[in-house]
Amino acid sequence: MATERELDRRPDPDALLALTGNDKRGKLKVFLGAAPGVGKTFAMLQGARRLRADGIDVVIGLVETHGRSETAVLLDGQEVLPRRGVDYRGRTIEEFDLDAALRRRPALIVVDELAHTNAPESRHPKRWQDVEELLDAGIDVWTALNIQHLESLADVVSRVTGIAVRETVPDSVLKNAQDVILVDITPEELIQRLHEGKVYLPQTARRATQNFFTPRNLTALRELALRRTADRVDDQMVAFLRQGAIEGPWETSDYLLACIGPDDRAEILVRTAGRMATKLNATWVVVHVERPGHEETDPTRLKRIDDALRLAERLGAQTQRLSASDIVAEVLRYARRENVTQIVVGRSRAGWLRRRLGHSFSDEMVRRTHDIAVQVITTPEGEAPRAAFRWRRPTPKGLLPGLIAAVVAVAVAVGIGEALSLVIKLPNLSMVFLLAVLGCAVSYGLWSGVAASILSFLCYNFFFIPPIYTFTVASPQELLSLLVFLMVAVFTGTLAGRVHDQAEAVRQRAQNSESLYDFSRKLAGAAKLDDVLWAVAAHLQKIVGGAVVVLIPEEGDLQVRIAWPPDAELDAGEISAARWAFSKNEVAGWRTDTLPTLAKQFRPLVTPRGPVGVFGFEPMARGDAPTPEFERALTAILEQTALAVDRSLLIGEAVRAAALEDNERLRTTLLSSLSHDLRTPLATISGAISTLRQLHDRLPPGKREELLASAEEETERLTRFIANLLDMSRIESGALKARRDYLDAADCIRNAVERGRKAFGAESIETSLAPDLPSIRGDAQLLEQVLFNLLDNAHKYGGGSRAVVHARREGGAAVITVTDDGPGIKQADLTRVFEKFYRGGRADGRKAGTGLGLSICKGLVEAMGGTIEAQSPAARRRGTRIVLRFPVAEMTKSLPA
Amino acid sequence: MKQRVLIVDDEEQILKFLTTALEASDYAVIQARTGREALHLIATAAPDLVILDLGLPDMDGKEVLVRARAFSNRPIIVLSARDREAEKIEALDLGANDYVEKPFKIGELLARLRVAARLAGQEQPKPTVFEADGLRIDLERRLVTREGAPVKLTPKEYDLLAFLVHHAGRVATHRQILLNVWGPAHAQDTPYLRVFVGQLRAKIEAKPEQPKLILTEPGVGYRLWTED
Repeated sequence: MATERELDRRPDPDALLALTGNDKRGKLKVFLGAAPGVGKTFAMLQGARRLRADGIDVVIGLVETHGRSETAVLLDGQEVLPRRGVDYRGRTIEEFDLDAALRRRPALIVVDELAHTNAPESRHPKRWQDVEELLDAGIDVWTALNIQHLESLADVVSRVTGIAVRETVPDSVLKNAQDVILVDITPEELIQRLHEGKVYLPQTARRATQNFFTPRNLTALRELALRRTADRVDDQMVAFLRQGAIEGPWETSDYLLACIGPDDRAEILVRTAGRMATKLNATWVVVHVERPGHEETDPTRLKRIDDALRLAERLGAQTQRLSASDIVAEVLRYARRENVTQIVVGRSRAGWLRRRLGHSFSDEMVRRTHDIAVQVITTPEGEAPRAAFRWRRPTPKGLLPGLIAAVVAVAVAVGIGEALSLVIKLPNLSMVFLLAVLGCAVSYGLWSGVAASILSFLCYNFFFIPPIYTFTVASPQELLSLLVFLMVAVFTGTLAGRVHDQAEAVRQRAQNSESLYDFSRKLAGAAKLDDVLWAVAAHLQKIVGGAVVVLIPEEGDLQVRIAWPPDAELDAGEISAARWAFSKNEVAGWRTDTLPTLAKQFRPLVTPRGPVGVFGFEPMARGDAPTPEFERALTAILEQTALAVDRSLLIGEAVRAAALEDNERLRTTLLSSLSHDLRTPLATISGAISTLRQLHDRLPPGKREELLASAEEETERLTRFIANLLDMSRIESGALKARRDYLDAADCIRNAVERGRKAFGAESIETSLAPDLPSIRGDAQLLEQVLFNLLDNAHKYGGGSRAVVHARREGGAAVITVTDDGPGIKQADLTRVFEKFYRGGRADGRKAGTGLGLSICKGLVEAMGGTIEAQSPAARRRGTRIVLRFPVAEMTKSLPA
Repeated sequence: MKQRVLIVDDEEQILKFLTTALEASDYAVIQARTGREALHLIATAAPDLVILDLGLPDMDGKEVLVRARAFSNRPIIVLSARDREAEKIEALDLGANDYVEKPFKIGELLARLRVAARLAGQEQPKPTVFEADGLRIDLERRLVTREGAPVKLTPKEYDLLAFLVHHAGRVATHRQILLNVWGPAHAQDTPYLRVFVGQLRAKIEAKPEQPKLILTEPGVGYRLWTED
């Protein structure tokens, strides 16, 4: 039992993790006040002075004294960062210099007025984002904030005080702050200070008092500030309890889901849900569900959803766009999957009838939810309730053929009706018209169906309802049947039209996924990075419509690897946005919080290994929010792109690693070869010479001669080896230029054999040259060297047997062979013997040679346009034959006979 | 009687000049070109000394070393073109008495041969006194003096010095020293040994910064200088 208790009381690992996670980031201390003038800046500067006196590296990044002398005094003797001048419409605005602060890297920086909005063209639109970057860089920050600027309280504050709050700070900033210090004075005292001119400059004081500094406002704000701080202390208490595993009750975490639509209540709903989440200390998610086939097209409504979701993100929520025909079912499915504990919906302003029937969205939600609490939020009346059924606005392009089709179909129906009425007397010809309506609706969509039904109604009346050829209707029952006809026509037309539209939507979606599939197949086929990027740029350009660009890091910095149009260039701001996107793994540029004034948006290409590049694009229309369809397509494509880029980078790395390994192996072989092949002759030379010097008198004259001969011979050997090395490097570096003269192969062979006989003995080489040996093209000196090398090999590996040189013509080739009668080469080694530093024997076994001879021969022969090949066994299961083939040089001109 | 030296090498030219040089220095020379031949000759011809090249056509020189050590304790000096320390150390640990690196001067090889022969000859009566460069080590009395003045050594320093004296003129690998002086648990503590040698040099060398007695064989071990 005791151990179990011990286990239970162990600190919550997540809590500890959260604690250690805070170590790298700078710490944020927020001086929170109810209103301007409570003394936040003063308190902050006093604290900073104290720390500076304690030897802490404190820098004043930016402080507004508002002309308050008692505050200004505190700046004396402090290091104040110079401000950055920004030209804006002819005026110079002084802004906080973020880059200077990052360069200076103090331990602690004081940056006043967290809610400040930066001048346009700044890196971040808001100062709190500057502060975030400072914290990310590991710098501690002290800052000041008035409660009215807190995002989730903005609407409350404007309701209470009647003043619209424009500059807001996300709640998450305050929530993630290490410390929050409430700077508090009573409203009376504040108003007193205001009158004494200690708050604003005297000339602005009176106006401010009237508008804002009323006891009522200040009291309300003070309460908000106190409450928010108290909530925070409460949270901290819980955190302490969990970290320290002090026994005590703490709440299980709630998970809130807010469901928003495109109406004007979305924002209020998000703010309310946000406040609830804060109070419950719950994580929360805001979802918007779209019905396929009923995608929102109205720009203001689209923007509303977009704005509400962005607001939610600022307030610290996750956001999710879902797509389903049954909205309630989809929300519940999501909620169950994510273990949501509470669902927040706005009360539907559905019509009277639907409310009665219990069919409004909120009623549906409450009715169908059994295990999750549903909070229905009432909101003030705003936009008029919209009809349950919404006509899809037709596109002019689709409309015209639809209308023509309706006219034609109805005309045909009239014709058929007339024809039928001539043959047989039918009681009701309306069926023919219904057929026309149905046909139009199915083939051309809803609007065509509706047009056809109205036309049908008129024509039916005109041509077939007595009195014929008038629009008047004689009998009341005819009128009734006409009306019924119209209704039936509209209903069937609507239904068929919807089927048509849905089919269209499905087709569109199928096309999208097919195009995505096509894209991924293209990517799968491309291994090289450039191929991948071309496929990506071509595909994305089609989707985006505007310019696209892909940046990949090279040598530590992002470089444009591909752009469409190809001459598109990035300006400095765009490059810094791209860098930001890459380093912070966030979207930057157009419609984001970072550098939103840019024309382009930059998205990181993220893989599990981290970002591998950045994709930038310029939207077709700057003002429009991207549609969910576009978002979805882009996200899917970028995911695929990131993986493909990553894969090709990995392939590149693998190839480079393999090349490096090859290089390494070659170097090792080269070293061991040099070590052996240089030292062995050197050992003889050095040994022979030192013997001669030291033991000269004790050596018989014949032995002295022998030692000298040895030294000489080994010097020759060294010379040959070094010449080989040089040749090899010439061949490798391409410095070797083989001449392409007309050669008499027989002459070259004779010269080489002559040299060989001198070196290895007169009896060692036998020749058999065909008399009709043709001319070849090449370099006499090089060919002679090749042949000599082959003879040298034959001598070394031939086991003392004779080497046979044979030359003849074989069709269009002159063939020269050098054959020995040695043990031969293993089948597996026949091609490898031409590899550099490959030796038939062991690494430094006897007579294995330098591993250069044959590879040099190969290089030289190929430089002359010939081929070289080894055959073994040559005859009777012994011997090696090296075969050289050179194309016969046909004489273009011949001397007159 | 002339001492008999077996030269094992596959390089004809090296065999040739070594034979000439050794015969001129009053050795009788036997030649072997393969490992198999060498083992046969060590067993049957009983050479007094063996010069063994590590790169042989039929088997690795180290293999020859191991097999030869199974039945013979004749001094074996390894000749190697390979300058890799690991190779030398391995050969020494496998029982080679010394090594000479190609290319070499004949004087160096002859000196090593003399040291090896002398140590082999002295095997029965162990040396009791070692004297070199003003240093005198009396192994029986455990007394070390420098120019007549006693040198105070810690027991381990003395053991280290005594081990080097037993191998005087020959290289002793780090591993051999560590195994014999400190025991198997410290066989890898080469840095530790380096410190000890430094301390010992400070006590016995005339100029510790330019050691003359305890010579470093880089990467391999130490050699105690002898007047030879």
